[in-house]
Amino acid sequence: MRSQETSQTVKDVLWVIDSLKKQVVADRCVSIQKRIEENRQKMVGVTKLLCKLSMERTTSTASDVNRNLDLLTKRQIDAIHMHNGVNASNGDRESYSSQEDNHASTAVLLGSTVAARNAVRPIKITEIKRLPPYTTWIFLDRNQRMTEDQSVVGRRRIYYDRSGGEALICSDSEEEAIEEEEEKRDFVESEDYILCMTIKEVGLSELVLESLAQCFSRNPCQVKARYEVLRNEDKAVGGTKEEDIGENSKDGSYFLDKDKDLDAALDSFDNLFCRRCLVFDCRLHGCSQDLVFPADKQPPWTPPNVENIPCGPHCYRSVLMPEKFAKVSTSSHGDVEEKCSDGAGVQISSRKESSGPSTRRLVQFTQSESASSNAKNISESSDSENDPEQDTTSASHSSPLKTKPVAKGRIGKRNSKRVAERVLVCMQKRQKKMVASDSDSIMSGGLCSGDKSSSSKENEDSTSLHKDIKSLTIGRSRRKDLLIQNNLNTVLGESVDHLSNEMLTDQPGPSSDANLRKADSVDDNVYKQEFSDNKSWKAIEKGLLEKGVEIFGRNSCLIARNLLDGLKTCWEVFQYINCDGGKMSYPTGDAANSLVEGYPKGNNEVRRRSRFLRRRGKVRRLKYTWKSAAYHSIRKRITERKDQPCRQYNPCGCQMACGKQCSCLLNGTCCEKYCGCPKSCKNRFRGCHCAKSQCRSRQCPCFAADRECDPDVCRNCWVSSGDGTLGIPGQRGDNYECRNMKLLLKQQQRVLLGRSDVSGWGAFLKNSVGKHEYLGEYTGELISHREADKRGKIYDRENSSFLFNLNDQFVLDAYRKGDKLKFANHSPDPNCYAKVIMVAGDHRVGIFAKERIGAGEELFYDYRYEPDRAPAWARKPEASGSKKEDGAPSTGRAKKLA
Amino acid sequence: MAKFALGSEPVVGSLTQTKKREYKVTNRLQEGKRPLYAVVFNFIDSRYFDVFATVGGNRVTIYHCLEGGVIALLQCYIDEDKDESFYTVSWACNTDGTPFVVAGGINGIIRVIDAGSEKIHRSFVGHGDSINEIRTQPLKPSLVVSASKDESVRLWNVHTGICILIFAGAGGHRNEVLSVDFHPSDIYRIASCGMDNTVKIWSMKDLPSKFPTKYVQFPVFIASIHSNYVDCNRWLGDFILSKSVDNEIVLWEPKMKEQSPGEGSVDILQKYPVPECDIWFIKFSCDFHYISAAIGNREGKIFVWELQSSPPLLTARLSHPQSKSPIRQTAMSFDGSTILSCCEDGTVWRWDAITTSQA
Repeated sequence: MRSQETSQTVKDVLWVIDSLKKQVVADRCVSIQKRIEENRQKMVGVTKLLCKLSMERTTSTASDVNRNLDLLTKRQIDAIHMHNGVNASNGDRESYSSQEDNHASTAVLLGSTVAARNAVRPIKITEIKRLPPYTTWIFLDRNQRMTEDQSVVGRRRIYYDRSGGEALICSDSEEEAIEEEEEKRDFVESEDYILCMTIKEVGLSELVLESLAQCFSRNPCQVKARYEVLRNEDKAVGGTKEEDIGENSKDGSYFLDKDKDLDAALDSFDNLFCRRCLVFDCRLHGCSQDLVFPADKQPPWTPPNVENIPCGPHCYRSVLMPEKFAKVSTSSHGDVEEKCSDGAGVQISSRKESSGPSTRRLVQFTQSESASSNAKNISESSDSENDPEQDTTSASHSSPLKTKPVAKGRIGKRNSKRVAERVLVCMQKRQKKMVASDSDSIMSGGLCSGDKSSSSKENEDSTSLHKDIKSLTIGRSRRKDLLIQNNLNTVLGESVDHLSNEMLTDQPGPSSDANLRKADSVDDNVYKQEFSDNKSWKAIEKGLLEKGVEIFGRNSCLIARNLLDGLKTCWEVFQYINCDGGKMSYPTGDAANSLVEGYPKGNNEVRRRSRFLRRRGKVRRLKYTWKSAAYHSIRKRITERKDQPCRQYNPCGCQMACGKQCSCLLNGTCCEKYCGCPKSCKNRFRGCHCAKSQCRSRQCPCFAADRECDPDVCRNCWVSSGDGTLGIPGQRGDNYECRNMKLLLKQQQRVLLGRSDVSGWGAFLKNSVGKHEYLGEYTGELISHREADKRGKIYDRENSSFLFNLNDQFVLDAYRKGDKLKFANHSPDPNCYAKVIMVAGDHRVGIFAKERIGAGEELFYDYRYEPDRAPAWARKPEASGSKKEDGAPSTGRAKKLA
Repeated sequence: MAKFALGSEPVVGSLTQTKKREYKVTNRLQEGKRPLYAVVFNFIDSRYFDVFATVGGNRVTIYHCLEGGVIALLQCYIDEDKDESFYTVSWACNTDGTPFVVAGGINGIIRVIDAGSEKIHRSFVGHGDSINEIRTQPLKPSLVVSASKDESVRLWNVHTGICILIFAGAGGHRNEVLSVDFHPSDIYRIASCGMDNTVKIWSMKDLPSKFPTKYVQFPVFIASIHSNYVDCNRWLGDFILSKSVDNEIVLWEPKMKEQSPGEGSVDILQKYPVPECDIWFIKFSCDFHYISAAIGNREGKIFVWELQSSPPLLTARLSHPQSKSPIRQTAMSFDGSTILSCCEDGTVWRWDAITTSQA
């Protein structure tokens, strides 16, 4: 009875599924029918139009009576006449027949009952010399990394043998396996339909699921999971629809959406902006590079000439002017004096401000400022006490760190926040630890300075992940540090009044600073007027402002113009910086507010000093010769270059001087300017300080290491720009231009593409050059060695290869993308040579003249194929003589070597 | 071949003839010893609807189909380079209506012949390797597009002699391009296919008319429908007909995402089986109104499918005891009543529909 029942339900279920299946198939047929019919309707219109057009062409030409009947029409008419038996003995025709030569062919009207002869003289098409074969290629002025979809790895390739005419399928066995692998199929609409309807009809049970699974050829778990999903979707259908609409509208105006946090915007910036090439969507380094935040921060940029010219109608300067006048009537004498001295005696005025007890704010301002500088001093001293070794090794490094301005503290926080987000995504487990270490730093921060705690932590942390966390703690602890400083301010504030005054007078502050200070002294009620406006600052605007302060300092003109154009005026920015900004970011009261203002000034001074120190320190360092430890890995490369390809450089993210865990060190490359480590890092390549030699010989450490000089790194390397009317960079290298920056500056020779005297295409030089002159770069697609092996097989079959070994990671392929130098032919006795050179962290291939080359000469270089892989034509005569298996395909691929 | 999910199977036509249309051989001519690769009727100008051109070896020949199965030879052109082997030919016309014959082949040089004055009009040098197909824009017949072994598709103006656009580069074909076709109504859209097994749809936003030539590096759509060489594709309205070496023609709809070019899905609608059609470089042809398509096979037989009925109907299966050589291309006349086939052995066959009144 029971078994009968189940069999009954099985039948039922199968019947339901089957009928649904049939219905789906029938629906599909109907829908195809409908679509084809719709398409047909459209086609009718189109073909009608085309037909009309072709008719019009006929009538337009036919109506042109004066025109000679074209020959095709004439022949057509002749043929018809002949077919109809009309004698078409036409003068023209006869003349043709009389001119018949050997080439003439005759054709009869085949199948015609009248075997009329219709002689047609073949018309010769003059021969045109064909081009040497080539594949269409795209010009590249710089190397590009291969995009994933261009990979041939794992794909089946079919070639056809030109001689045999048969297709050959080339694929490795392992790749076949990849293809066989069943990919996870998504449920299609019809499957969902059957699933729902079946369950609706016969209810949900194991049995039903099983039969359904069989029907879809999946396993029952999948089916069940899908059902759950569908049911949930069903429930949420009402809500999601509304959300969808909302989201869509948001997507449309991404950047205008001011509620969005700047972090979100910066996220895409971080992913898409290449810090090495300074472009978005860099094709060389790709997007989603590892974020490397340099340990050395740039000082805020100050424009060269800050004048008191308002930047626009809403400039704070122009707004302040009338207000000041308004104030004159009500305020004390001191203010008037201040106004008078505004233009010229900036320093004097500021001193007067501080000495004169005219306003409440002014006193407070100076007090707290001095306090802050004092606090700095304290932290400095405590640092040097606790951390003497660090101070001595990197004075230049530690001093800016300690005197981090408030804005910088915020940067640290922001950076670490983003870093932390990434960490969070990849490994949540570590987060607990992070919290722990954070609290650690708070504690230690309470005792001494935050820097100390973080540096001590660095010793503990060894993995790069830990470093990420560490950088976060630095940020946090720095903020704590700040709070502590604030506390100190309140304690020490009064006692250091005198000191701060001195400092102010000492400081040769630029006029903009004075302006800021002066503006600060403007009565509070000025701001209060505009309070309603200030409320409208959106998150993204605030974020942008923070960035602006980071870049431009407190120059509201520049911030408004460059970052908040169209969003906020200069005056609004100015107000925000000076009033609300401080309050909102640092809600510790008035002291903190004025602290914000005090910082840039004090910082400027200290930074100036530290910069000076740094320079001196650098000079000392430059005394090292290229034999010193820093060049160890490079020198190795020089001596062993022949055996070992160069190593690909990837910037390390070390925040402190690189230790044993540094990725650059482990990889055997030098640290470069793109690394996170500070300039004092021992693994850094330090560039050269050549002058007279102009970096043209192995005397220059850069040249010897197969590197181009970098004006950012080398001390004396520069080139003049333009015709010199704009001046040359002063005080660098005594008028000796660097001659080792040709790739960087693209100072290449004009190369022409032409028919080679040897075979196929060739590259020719337009103007004559001397020995060792740089001719141009061999550009192409950067592909992996695995990819190159795969492509090489195809290229070897076609007997042309544009592969070039670049380093241990990449091979250049100029087959579809490259420049004209890819057509330079091989010669065992060449007039050029290729060299892999490191240019700003990237390996590039330069082609240089091996000897003096005259104008118009063809360029050759030795491809330097590995002997056993070289094709027959590239082998040295004696080598090819000894090896007889010319026709046999080589085991490897033919690749050019530098 | 990938399995189709439930509810997205194509409708496959049956090889049993349901709707019959009789054709019979009315003429056969031997052009030479060299294989003929292309035959095409002139659909550009109604004066010449009965005129067709064939290419093979270094010859381009123009004929006229007369009543009663008669074929008249009108013109013949011979390239002085004996090594030239033309693979493709297309009709075009100048802006003043002069008929042009455009041919290309192994040398990679496109020959524009002025059939009105029986002179060579222009020669386009630029392709780096042999040319596999040339097609004419039906709305602007002075524009032609060429598919080449050099992995590029190029758009030319036969009037000015300018190469307007090159469709190649980062997103382009990775092997020889075998076939290309203009969209019938959207002048800015073409489809190309080739030895990299893909069909690519290209779009040109606004047509530049001046030198220098511009590149279009990224197609708007890439379809991987076939697992082998795709040697012929044609637009059927907004759908595409394409064939590989799998003994069938496939009708499919490209479903593009307007926001993200290059992505999208393919809906395979119908399949038209063609037995013994498993070698590459066999092309099909349609009549003017795209009502039916004719395709030859490896054994010299021709299959005529009614394209726009669902399910597809086989209207005729043409065979002749002497037609044994592979048919490289067919040509259907304006109304589909005449079918021409050109064969590997250098013969041209003419088939005419038997009208019911005659029968």
